[in-house]
Amino acid sequence: MTSTTDTHPADGGGAEAGTGAGIGTGAGPGGTASAPAPATGPGTASLTPVFIQLKLSLLRNGLRQSGGRRAAYIASIVFTLLFAALQVLGLILLRGNEHAATIVVLSMAVLALGWAFMPLFFASGDETLDPTRLVMLPLRPQPLVRALLAASLVGIGPFFTLCLVAGSVVTVAHGAAAVTTGVIAAVLTLLLCVTLSRTIAAANTRLLTSRRGRDLAMLSGVVIAVGIQLVNFGTQQLSEAGGLDRLDPVADVLSWVPPASAFGAVASVNDGAYATALAQLALSALALVLLLTHWTRSLTRLMTTPDGSTLQAAEPTRDKARAAHGLARVLPRGRTGTVIERTLRYAWRDPKTRAGWVSSLAIGLIVPLFNALQGNGSVYLACMAAGMLGVLMYNQFGQDTSAFWMVAMTISSTRDAYVELRGRALALLYVTLPYTTLTVGATAWVVDDWQSFLPALGVSFALLGAMLGLGSMASYLAPYSIPQEGHRNVAPGQAGISIASIFGGMIAAALLCVPMLALTIWVYVSDSHAWLWLLLPVGALYGTGLTWAGLRFAAPRVAGRLPEILAAVSRG
Amino acid sequence: MTGESTAQAAAATTEAAVAETAGKPPAVRVSGLWKRFGEQIAVAGVDLELPAGRFIGLVGPNGAGKTTTLSMVTGLLRPDQGTVEIVGHDVWRDPVEVKARIGVLPEGLRLFERLSGRELLVYMGRLRGLPGDEVDKRATQLLDVLDLAGAQHKLVVDYSTGMRKKIGLAAALLHNPEVLFLDEPFEGVDPVSAQTIRGVLERYTASGATVVFSSHVMELVESLCDWVAVMAAGRIRAQGTLAEVRGEAPTLQDAFLELVGANGRDAGHSLDWLGGGTR
Repeated sequence: MTSTTDTHPADGGGAEAGTGAGIGTGAGPGGTASAPAPATGPGTASLTPVFIQLKLSLLRNGLRQSGGRRAAYIASIVFTLLFAALQVLGLILLRGNEHAATIVVLSMAVLALGWAFMPLFFASGDETLDPTRLVMLPLRPQPLVRALLAASLVGIGPFFTLCLVAGSVVTVAHGAAAVTTGVIAAVLTLLLCVTLSRTIAAANTRLLTSRRGRDLAMLSGVVIAVGIQLVNFGTQQLSEAGGLDRLDPVADVLSWVPPASAFGAVASVNDGAYATALAQLALSALALVLLLTHWTRSLTRLMTTPDGSTLQAAEPTRDKARAAHGLARVLPRGRTGTVIERTLRYAWRDPKTRAGWVSSLAIGLIVPLFNALQGNGSVYLACMAAGMLGVLMYNQFGQDTSAFWMVAMTISSTRDAYVELRGRALALLYVTLPYTTLTVGATAWVVDDWQSFLPALGVSFALLGAMLGLGSMASYLAPYSIPQEGHRNVAPGQAGISIASIFGGMIAAALLCVPMLALTIWVYVSDSHAWLWLLLPVGALYGTGLTWAGLRFAAPRVAGRLPEILAAVSRG
Repeated sequence: MTGESTAQAAAATTEAAVAETAGKPPAVRVSGLWKRFGEQIAVAGVDLELPAGRFIGLVGPNGAGKTTTLSMVTGLLRPDQGTVEIVGHDVWRDPVEVKARIGVLPEGLRLFERLSGRELLVYMGRLRGLPGDEVDKRATQLLDVLDLAGAQHKLVVDYSTGMRKKIGLAAALLHNPEVLFLDEPFEGVDPVSAQTIRGVLERYTASGATVVFSSHVMELVESLCDWVAVMAAGRIRAQGTLAEVRGEAPTLQDAFLELVGANGRDAGHSLDWLGGGTR
């Protein structure tokens, strides 16, 4: 059961917004001069230690949670520390390597990028740093920024960064002058990273604390997954002979971009280019000052203007009705079109569904294409695109959450259930068919094997058809809840069902495709290449047949098990 | 709540409707309904006969089994035992007849919140098989009457509690059902929205339709309903017209406390330190 109030954005924020006191009283033009003297006294002196203590208490309280969460908390700390130690070790070993400077400069850029994105993914991660919680307190911008900055430097993330920058100094600095520069660079980099993260968070607090922001954060898992694929691909490219040489020009550019420019300065000192080093350090310092100024401004604005809930209510309504009619016009009439329209809207608007779609689309494209680019690909690997999208058919009703009752109230016969499921399968096909064709085509283009294009497409369609058919069955056989908040994709206690549904479904789909694969292999082995094109219509027909059979089989069972399905999908 | 006068007015308007529908099968007939969740018995043999054309209140304390009963009556939860008939049609054997005749606003279940208010209504209307133009017309009127026209293009996920209840009510009314089931329709709703919902429901019952709603706010039930069923611990303790259930007691609240056996549970001397005097 879900309470409607907790999904309503910015509850309670309204009360705080109205006061608007915060740091704003003295922050306006000329306000600082005329401000009453007592306010600055205790505020400035004690604010920083208070914030640091608050941060330490929060870290300590992480240990006071329930068993499982505490274990996860400790494990994450241990893991981070181990990772940091490995990084330091690696950096020290790198000392003297001809590419050491390149790698350090690049890692600093990546580090800064990580800090920049952190607030977008973990907006609620650090309560001490959410300035909207301080709105009621009489604080001045300067001391507040100092205190917040000091508090931001306490924690696992900054410690990890400190390890990394310290290790980097060891790696690149040769000689006393370089070490001195390195220490300055390390401090500058650490401050820059933390300030960058805070500035971005403060500038986007409205977005991050709103429903839209939480929707975006939901995609972070996908971004990380795709990022890992890209990194994986990148490392493979670089591990080839001479791979690192290709990075040198990139590092040359980045050594002028803060905070990487600070470590660029260390390398310049090594080379004796002191003027260049000074310029690079100054660039980083300037960036820090600019960021701090921007952060202060954002904080001031944040605490003196109404919050998101008020703005949202005043948001002008756009006329979306016409666009909706446009979409409806190209879709079939009746229940089929209605279901397709809703499914496609959800694919775009519902964060969980969108994350599923984006990851399926991305992985389905990346794996065959990257393999092809690396020279060990095959057009048939592009069938994976169809497989990845076919998975979306599994647990159709779980994607509805408990709103499935609205569907259940309108399914009173096998026919209704059939049309409902068929509509959902068609919605998937609207995207899958062009996408699969495109992926197979792109892969065929990269590996330059157009002869396999049509048969590979045929196998893809057969696989897709099998998954759509089996997905309809899995949707009634093994429905499970998808929690709407957080990163979990299965409600507690239903993990077994979801694994059985997806993996069982994949294996079954592969088995169903065996005849199609056998036929394909036979065509190749018997050397009847002239008939390869025939595999496309055969695969398409076979897939259509499997989907039709799956829908026919599932429909009466869905209609007969509506309460059970509703109960299974309502746990999130 | 406007009190007695509204109740009398509502009773007067439904009087004619009741006379009209006399001889028809009851709106809802429940017999021997049981539901058990593990060890806990949520509904322990409910028998109910709710007359058509009435404004019916299902009252009871939290955990009495109201939501479970309404879920089973509307076909959203399968009972362990017992039968449910709506206007003479069995809910489980004849879903085609039943689902077209009922409108439901459940409690604790989501809506399709990533649709805008209007999109949600159009979606439900089309799933119900109404023609496109008719859905548009009805949706526009419902949005107007329920004061949601200004927010019709906003996603339901951004709606307040009162707005959600109103859009849920609109979705339940769209196909003009004979019987409307509302689970806690006034819970967490501001007074202005509550008054709007009341107005729509009173107009709806005045035309001969039946409303069954659950609540634990006795004053509300007393001012709105002309027929009441009292539920406690999974059983029906009393059912009948408001006057019958109230009996000798001055208010429904008193009658209710008597029925569920909560009377005389006075704080007594245990909190005698509380209040003015010595601190």
